[in-house]
Amino acid sequence: MPLLEVRGLVKRFVGVTAVDAVDLAVEPGELVSLIGPNGSGKTTIFNCVTGYLAADAGRVLFRGHDVTGAPPHRVARLGLARTFQQVSVFGRLSALENLLVFAQQHQEEAFWPRLFRAPRVRRLEAQAIERARALLDLVGLGARAGAPAGSLSYGQRKLLAFAAALMPDPELLLLDEPAAAINPTMINQMKDHILALNRQGKTVLLVEHNMDVVMDISKRVVVLDHGQKLAEGPPDAIRRDPRVIEAYFGR
Amino acid sequence: MTRRRLPLAALAALAAGAPWLVAAIAPGQQRYIVHVLIFTALFAALALSYDLVVGHIGSLSLAHPAFFGIGAYTAAILATRAQWPFLGDLAAAVLLAGAVAAVAGIPLFRLVEHAFAVGTLGFALVASIVATNWVEVTRGPLCITGIPKPAIALPGGGALAFTGLPAYYWLALAALAAVVALYCGMTTFRLGRAMHAVRDNEPLAAAAGIDPLKYRMLAFVAGGAIAGGVGALYAHYLAVFCPEEMTIALTVNLLVIVFLGGVGSLRGVLVGAVLFTALPEVLRLAPTWRLVIYGALLLLIVIRSPEGIAGLLRGAAPARRGA
Repeated sequence: MPLLEVRGLVKRFVGVTAVDAVDLAVEPGELVSLIGPNGSGKTTIFNCVTGYLAADAGRVLFRGHDVTGAPPHRVARLGLARTFQQVSVFGRLSALENLLVFAQQHQEEAFWPRLFRAPRVRRLEAQAIERARALLDLVGLGARAGAPAGSLSYGQRKLLAFAAALMPDPELLLLDEPAAAINPTMINQMKDHILALNRQGKTVLLVEHNMDVVMDISKRVVVLDHGQKLAEGPPDAIRRDPRVIEAYFGR
Repeated sequence: MTRRRLPLAALAALAAGAPWLVAAIAPGQQRYIVHVLIFTALFAALALSYDLVVGHIGSLSLAHPAFFGIGAYTAAILATRAQWPFLGDLAAAVLLAGAVAAVAGIPLFRLVEHAFAVGTLGFALVASIVATNWVEVTRGPLCITGIPKPAIALPGGGALAFTGLPAYYWLALAALAAVVALYCGMTTFRLGRAMHAVRDNEPLAAAAGIDPLKYRMLAFVAGGAIAGGVGALYAHYLAVFCPEEMTIALTVNLLVIVFLGGVGSLRGVLVGAVLFTALPEVLRLAPTWRLVIYGALLLLIVIRSPEGIAGLLRGAAPARRGA
């Protein structure tokens, strides 16, 4: 059974069909890239899958649950983590707290034990802090744990958002342009992190424009154009596919 | 830790001992000063409940006078017409104000940002019009009068009556302490972090598994319920409650306290409450220039420290921060 299955997904915006009957399946342990020219519907698919947009038709199944139309927080709690294209952090929370936010709702969320800081919740918090520090060290932000996330550089915020998405140990990670607008060193860092995650068995679905990154790390590439699936296959085949070349470079 | 707790304990002792201190320093003025202190404590509690909404989830609600008024009228009516005991009408005030906040919150939180502010403003106006015109229940502009001073029946058969001014001051201070405890519990640790996440970035909070509406409602309902309780204490203290007490003028006062004190900061809101409740009274010494000086001071704070007095305090002494 695929971990994520999208069937006949349609999303229309006024006058435009952004996603036109797309089928997509991601098997456990895969590293799949979703590519396509600007406006081809990649991010719209992400938003429909994670509950940020309501699809006009089609179904989304995650771990066998039908999550079509489910609100984002419920999809997240099923173990589907996502990052955003525009760097997205909680600016006034510290880097450490940014990560803690991502752990707590998955651990517990009862009101009274939180208000009175029940021993069980304190223990969970201690575990979360330990994991958060390890993840901050992993992305090289260990020294900035106490800094407000808003004071970090663009690239650092991107790494922070990435680490935050890993916090609840998600089943599937949707990364929206993790390598966009950061410097080459950081791109390589990001690439290594994604590859390492995948080797540990994490399933990753990637939207990315940086072809070097895509071709380097993906096991499978799905190409979209004008909201429709144009081609699908291993990176080498995609690179040579005449339809893909035409969509990217024109006739 | 001890360095932080010591001044806190001293401050608490100072607050508790204030009536004696006042009696020693200004015996002739004691009644008046204690009266101002009671108002300060009640306004501080009300402002903290307001800050739960505006400061911690970042929703600019203008509906707070409605919940204050609902609590005040609930307590006043139950105490005068049904002879309910104080603790009973206080509980009813808290519950009814909280329930109204829950019912009003659902449609109001479909609105965002400015629309939410305008929606809550409309709600507050409707509440105030109802209070003025629903004469059968609220007596309208004639006000509810003869609200008894609170008394708590003791198990032994006696009663703890809060008739004198200092006694009422301690009651208000105890209420403030309870609100401070609840405020601290809700705005720190995991609850606070969830609310702050919703305030800073709602879509990202949802990606973290937080239901944004749930936390907005939590703050709104808790804030409304506390405001209802403060309204009950206010009505019992003044013995009279009129529709004018719950107009938009109250929102303006709360906005001044919270935003010039320091939005989202316990210390800021408390300092704001002390300053902006006591200051207009102190300025009575110069009656002609009172409002001019008050207005000029507000402007000065806004210009010098847009983050409020809490920002100034932070600037003066760098805050000790734990990770």
